[in-house]
Amino acid sequence: MLPMLPMAQLRSILQCLPPRPWFRLALLLLLALAAAAPARAAEPVVVVVISERSASYLEAAEVLVRELELGAPERGGVARADIALMAAGEYAAAPQLAPKLFIAVGAGASSLLAARETRVPQIATLLPAASFEQIMQATGRRPSAMFSAVYLSQPLVRQFDLIRLALPEARRVGVLLGADSQGQAPALQAAALSRGLELASAQVGPGETAYAALQKVLEDADLLLAVPSPQVYNSSSIQNILLSSYRARVPFIGFSASYVQAGAVFAVYSTPAMISRQTAVMARNLLMGRGLPIAPQHPQEFSVSVNEQVARSLGLKLDAAALAERLRQLERTP
Amino acid sequence: MRPPIYLAFLLGWGAQATQAQTPVAVTEKDFLNDMPLVLSVSRLPQRLDETPGAVTVLDRNMIRLSGARDVADLLLLVPGFQSSSSFEADAPQASYHGGFSTYAGRIQVLVDGRSAYSPFLFGSVAPGLQTVAIADIERIEVLRGSNSASYGARAFLGVINIVTRDPADTLGPQASVTAGENGVRDAQASFGWGQDNASIRLGVDRRGDDGLKGSNGRNRINRVNFRADLRPVAGDEIQLRLGGLAIDSGVGFAGNVDRPLHDRAFGSSYLQLDWRRNLAADADLALGYAHTDETFRDNFFFVLPVPFNGVTVDFGGRASGDSVSLQHTVRQNANLRFVWGGELRRESVTSKPLYNTDDPQQTQFTRLFGNVEWRAARDVVVNAGGLLERSSKSGDSFAPRLMANWHAADGQTLRAGLSKAYRPPSTFESSSNVRYTAGGVLFQIASLARGTAQPESVVAREIGYLGEFPRQGLSLDVRLFHEQIGGIIRRTPYALAPGTQLLQSAAGFAQAIDYVNAEDFSIRGLEYQLKWRPWAGAQLVFNQAWTNIDSSDAGAALAAPKLASTLMWTQKLPRGVDLSLIHHERGPMTLQGSSVQFPMRRTDLRLGLPLQWGKQRGDLAVVVQNLGAPYQDYNGSFLFQRRAFVALRVDN
Repeated sequence: MLPMLPMAQLRSILQCLPPRPWFRLALLLLLALAAAAPARAAEPVVVVVISERSASYLEAAEVLVRELELGAPERGGVARADIALMAAGEYAAAPQLAPKLFIAVGAGASSLLAARETRVPQIATLLPAASFEQIMQATGRRPSAMFSAVYLSQPLVRQFDLIRLALPEARRVGVLLGADSQGQAPALQAAALSRGLELASAQVGPGETAYAALQKVLEDADLLLAVPSPQVYNSSSIQNILLSSYRARVPFIGFSASYVQAGAVFAVYSTPAMISRQTAVMARNLLMGRGLPIAPQHPQEFSVSVNEQVARSLGLKLDAAALAERLRQLERTP
Repeated sequence: MRPPIYLAFLLGWGAQATQAQTPVAVTEKDFLNDMPLVLSVSRLPQRLDETPGAVTVLDRNMIRLSGARDVADLLLLVPGFQSSSSFEADAPQASYHGGFSTYAGRIQVLVDGRSAYSPFLFGSVAPGLQTVAIADIERIEVLRGSNSASYGARAFLGVINIVTRDPADTLGPQASVTAGENGVRDAQASFGWGQDNASIRLGVDRRGDDGLKGSNGRNRINRVNFRADLRPVAGDEIQLRLGGLAIDSGVGFAGNVDRPLHDRAFGSSYLQLDWRRNLAADADLALGYAHTDETFRDNFFFVLPVPFNGVTVDFGGRASGDSVSLQHTVRQNANLRFVWGGELRRESVTSKPLYNTDDPQQTQFTRLFGNVEWRAARDVVVNAGGLLERSSKSGDSFAPRLMANWHAADGQTLRAGLSKAYRPPSTFESSSNVRYTAGGVLFQIASLARGTAQPESVVAREIGYLGEFPRQGLSLDVRLFHEQIGGIIRRTPYALAPGTQLLQSAAGFAQAIDYVNAEDFSIRGLEYQLKWRPWAGAQLVFNQAWTNIDSSDAGAALAAPKLASTLMWTQKLPRGVDLSLIHHERGPMTLQGSSVQFPMRRTDLRLGLPLQWGKQRGDLAVVVQNLGAPYQDYNGSFLFQRRAFVALRVDN
């Protein structure tokens, strides 16, 4: 029997989901799939392992399954019944599987699969580039036709391009780096340089608050670009960082929609659904026998979000849709 | 050799600490997790080009570069302001478009939103201007023009809002010492602590000098201020402020029996507790409580002819204030934001010598206010608001305001609007009863209010322009104003019934002072501020104000100068040296209700050398105030002589 998500677990997942009817319907379909699957005692073609049972992962999985299902098998389409969906915990406890493809959604699942599944092609998705690099370091694996990724994090140049479009006067980009994001420093430096910008970075030591580094960066920089680091940016530190940069009238640039909601002036980001669509394309190509792209992919689809109230109060006139369009145009022109 | 046990213990402890600090790796959770709403609606103030009135901001950098030791001095940098350096009345006064009295009581002073207006005597902003050390000030926002629609009766002609530095920006030690001519001896120190969700600052300072030439000098200010900002959970913020202030100064005039040389002491303390809660994505609630205590000691012995010994002339007493306020800010949609709320305020003044009773003179204020900010069109912002005030002493009044700001072009804003406000008579103006008795004989009733004074009113009309020309490094702020004052409250002597007192005036009858509604008059004029960055490292700030007060009273007509100009030039020199040169020049005016008019010309110079000791930074500055000839102050009998001093400062 396949190690599918038990019904009770799926129900509990359903309960923690936002009450969107289409979403629930989709999950019910998944549930039906899970219930129906044991009857067919065949190997699944694709095994999707999500890091945990929470809304973002399930949304990603749902879109992924829907996208994979589209089209005939010769065009990479996979019937629902041939897709197995499980959480990392179930996967860890399950016997060996032999699908054509593993898709790991999130860093937790990716790390688990990278270590265990070396014979079957796998795509790590919905994880930041930094996580994938860490996994490679830990497992000693390299990207190959068997092992690739779709990142959730935006390419740095895209962020710097957006900064140039939105804040053409800005020259010095401030960043706060923690021990967990220090490794990004050379790449940030290079990306800034390539866009004619300077980097003003300050280090937050482990166990320290961001105060001193923040003061230094706010004095030196024209804007503060958030670089993901749970040590520097977390739900308890974000208040001080946002308030201090607002007091200093230094625009704070986030990396997700929730940062914009909290008070960041703008952010470029991709939703789990966008990442899943891109992952599905990669998966179908593999299933059609074209192998995986050796270089992991950054998100191709993205959104720009602007906090209009904060922008206005800082004297900035920003239009999210126009910025996104100009950014896409910029990326289309070689 | 084995390492000693304590060393192993230390190493072990160190290893544990390192382990505990091992950071969590970056994952998709950093991208997908929700963040608390931080910059909620009430944390986003209106932009300067969308406020319902003219605002001048003196920021920390400008304050530092000015070399000023006093907020009243700094206000000379604001178009339309007059100020004095004299402590003769209570502390250095500042007024906008004329003070019309010894005490500047027709503007409001707020420190972090708390009213620091002194209700004692006539009402005065001067002690409030001294609430915090200059080093603790982040910026001073000066609202030029009547703002009673937002801040109540005392914002009759304008508001000075002193904003202290956020404790999150002042962690660690900070100190400064200043010494120089004229007995200038200032010392200040503060220390801040902080974590992600709490930050605290405690600061003490002392300011002293020998005062103006001709005055009884020796001014000493001692202050202690504490502020704690706590954010226990996302969406809640609690701020606690506590402080105390003592102003000791020598006042009086040699050989003047009516006001001989003596010492005066003013003391105040406050507690302010503010709680802000984020109710929803577009709604905030703020609840505040403030308590203020004041004591005033100012007395001297008046020698009487034999057989009487003499009387003690006393202006002393106590005052206190309590205020509870609630404010609800809502963003209805992208084009409509409103704030409304209320305040209950109780003020109490107790002074046997001023009111001939030990009972406190209490005034209750109930205020309801609201303001709607409506983006009527893409380029038009309309602010409509008002404040309903019920005073237990002078009844109800309503102060409305309507202002429209039109962003005519990119960086160009035209503003027009009008407002109306009332200022009720102060406790002294409505209830004074000053009697001098010796040996059981009533010599004089110096002041006896008949309680007839009604609130004075102002109708202010204004047209403003704000222009930003970033390419030229220019910005311009212009205000054309017409302020119609109705029934200004003025001191008036009147005849007492014969036989009431022993002393009689030269005219042969006994008289006392009352405060009554006098004439109506208008204040008209134009003021502007031009800021220009002409070349690298330079900034020029040029202000001019033409003011015409058409009062029939010669003193009031010149309560503000016809023309006042200020130029501030700051230049960054090699090695980071800051040069500032400030020149003030104004035509004749009568300061602080005196009838003597005199002009002023003053040039200040500051040279600041940046210093660094390891992580700590600071500067060493030489300041010369009034490089030129001494100028007159107060009633003309005091002189501001050249003052040179050196200030050493260590920043956080």
